[in-house]
This record gives sequence, structure tokens and C-alpha cells, in this order.
Amino acid sequence: MEEQMKKWLEPFSTTDGKPSTLATMQEQVKEWIDQDKIDVFLGYKMVQGHPLPHFFTKSNLDEVDELIGGQARYSLEKIATKIAAETPDIKIGLMVRDCNQRALNVLYVWNQLNPENVETIHLNCCPSKLKKHADCSYLEPEKAAVYKKKVGIDNNMDVEDAEAFNMEQRFQRWMYEFSKCIKCYGCRDICPVCFCKECSLEHPELIATGTLPPEIPIFHLVRAVHMGGRCIDCGLCEDACPVDIPLRLLYRKVNATVEDEFGYETGTHAGQSPFNLLGDEVTLEPKPL
Amino acid sequence: MTIKRMTFLQELLNFMGLEGRLHLDWISSAEAQKFAQVVTAFTDKVKAMGPSPLTGELDLSAIESACEAEIEAKSAEVQSVGGG
Repeated sequence: MEEQMKKWLEPFSTTDGKPSTLATMQEQVKEWIDQDKIDVFLGYKMVQGHPLPHFFTKSNLDEVDELIGGQARYSLEKIATKIAAETPDIKIGLMVRDCNQRALNVLYVWNQLNPENVETIHLNCCPSKLKKHADCSYLEPEKAAVYKKKVGIDNNMDVEDAEAFNMEQRFQRWMYEFSKCIKCYGCRDICPVCFCKECSLEHPELIATGTLPPEIPIFHLVRAVHMGGRCIDCGLCEDACPVDIPLRLLYRKVNATVEDEFGYETGTHAGQSPFNLLGDEVTLEPKPL
Repeated sequence: MTIKRMTFLQELLNFMGLEGRLHLDWISSAEAQKFAQVVTAFTDKVKAMGPSPLTGELDLSAIESACEAEIEAKSAEVQSVGGG
């Protein structure tokens, strides 16, 4: 347990006597709650060796000392969306990584959260050329096993590699992956940008019920279509999937299409998605009388 | 909107190996001839492609053996290079 705790807390420990990043973060949260800048802060707390999402409010201010960061990763913004749907004026503070921030941007675009009511504290995350150290629970998918490599799609593949198979193979390989599905809805439930009140995946007239795997490829393609202009490539769906369906790759392709065809980069700015039901901005002027 | 969604869907279907089975065209109710042409051409195209792979059973043995053959060919190549 000690070891495990250390692993999660390590990124925040300092040796030179300065207050650690974690302490600074806790101070900031306390200050915000004290000054009523936020009503609730969403972060993580270690519960019996597991970092779990946790609410910090004025009534449990002492608990802020137990706020942690580390590799813990969950769609906190999804919880924020649910809270905001019930209490629209609540001010929410959040711990965010790059992926959470992209998800927040998408949720702002789709009017699920009001950016004026959201405060964020940034955490270290995905590695890049400029940032060598990274903390994330899912930096790399597991290596594919022999059979999956032969007849399926390797989760580590790039979109180009998956496109290199001929059409027949592409179909069979994807169908093999989809056929493993146990319809746990894990991909949808964890998805930070899935917010519909009624889900097409649960509509018996759209997707036949009563069989496992669910109706394929419809089940997965419906979700893929909904990810166009929404998916922020956080990889939580694939991380959650108990049968390792390469969902992240599928949605990467979907978003690449959105970018190529419509020049829309999901999650990076406040522009409306090309699939927004309201359609394009009206550029015509009404004619004068 | 329609053209956006259809283009997007065609790309997606192509990605997972169901290319060419979805078509979009604009035909006015006054264009009977165009309607006949488009529908005939598309029907011919789909007929030539044969039955949808979705109707059959998923048979992975073919790609499995193709992959095995490929791996064997590669290892044979490596051996011959190593031997030579």
C-alpha cells in the first residue's frame, strides 16, 4: 500500500523544502472555496488505495488536504455536466489534464457547461517533445497478442496502417473486433463528451436487442458517427473496454475525416461542429423592402 | 447538412470495409430520366459487387492462413538471408 501511495503521489513531492505542487494545488482549492469563487471542487482522493473522484465543498474543507493528483484519470467533466444539468448556476472547480481540457472545450461548444462557471487546475499529462515527464493511466495500449494481430486490429495501429489492408480484410478484421463486444456500454458511460439524455444505442428500434454481441457493426458505427466532431481522443473508451476493441483508432479516423472534409479540429477552439443541428451560420442578408 | 453527413458516413464505411454501397444524389421530381439513370447505374454497381458481406457468417480462417503464410514467407526470407 505504501509503495502504491508513493507512486501516485510522487509527481508532487519536492526535496528542496519548497511547498510541493500538490500543496500549492490544495491551497488554491481552499482559497477558491473560501472566497466562494467555486461551490464545489472535483478532484481525486485516495480511498483504500484507490484514487477515486471526490467532491470538495465548504462542508468538507478539511478533506482538501487529502486531494491528490498522480496518474488518476477519469472524466470529471462528465460529473460536472451532470451537476450543471441539475443546478445550472453552480460554480465548479475541476482538476484537468490536456484531455479533460479538450473535453471541456467540446462541452462548452455543445452548451453542456458554461465556461464562466468553470475554474480549472491543470495537471501534468500526455508526453510530447516539449514535455518528457508524463502522468496518465493509459499512455500506451497493451501489446496485441498473436491471434489479434493475425485476424484483428492492433490497438497500437495508426489510421494509415488500418487503411492499408484490402477492403475484404478491413471488413473482416473490424467485424472480428466488434464481435467481441459484450454490450457493457463502458465506452459510452466513461465518455466525457457523451451527454445525450436518450441514447440511440439503447433504442430498440434502432439497434436490435437480446443478442450478444449486439447488432454489429451498427452498434459501434452509430457510436462512431456520434463521435464525429466530438471525440477528443482521450482514450478512456478503449481503456474501459473489457475486450480491447480499438475504439480510439476508429474514432481517430472519424475525427480525421471531420478535419479533412470540413477543416474542423475537435476540442481545440470554440467553433461550432460541422454536425451542429443549427447548421451553418447564415451569411445572406434579408432583402430590403 | 445531408451532403456533410453522407460524405462522412461514406468515409467511415470505407474505413471498415464496406465501400461503395452508399450513394447520394440530388434529383428533382421533374427529372424522371435522371432518376432512372442513377438508380439503374447504382443497382448495376451493387449487383456487380455481389451480396453484402454482412449477410454471411464471419469467416476468419482465410485471413488467418493468409497471415500465417506471410509470416512463414518472411521467416524463410530471413533464414535464406542469414544462411547466405
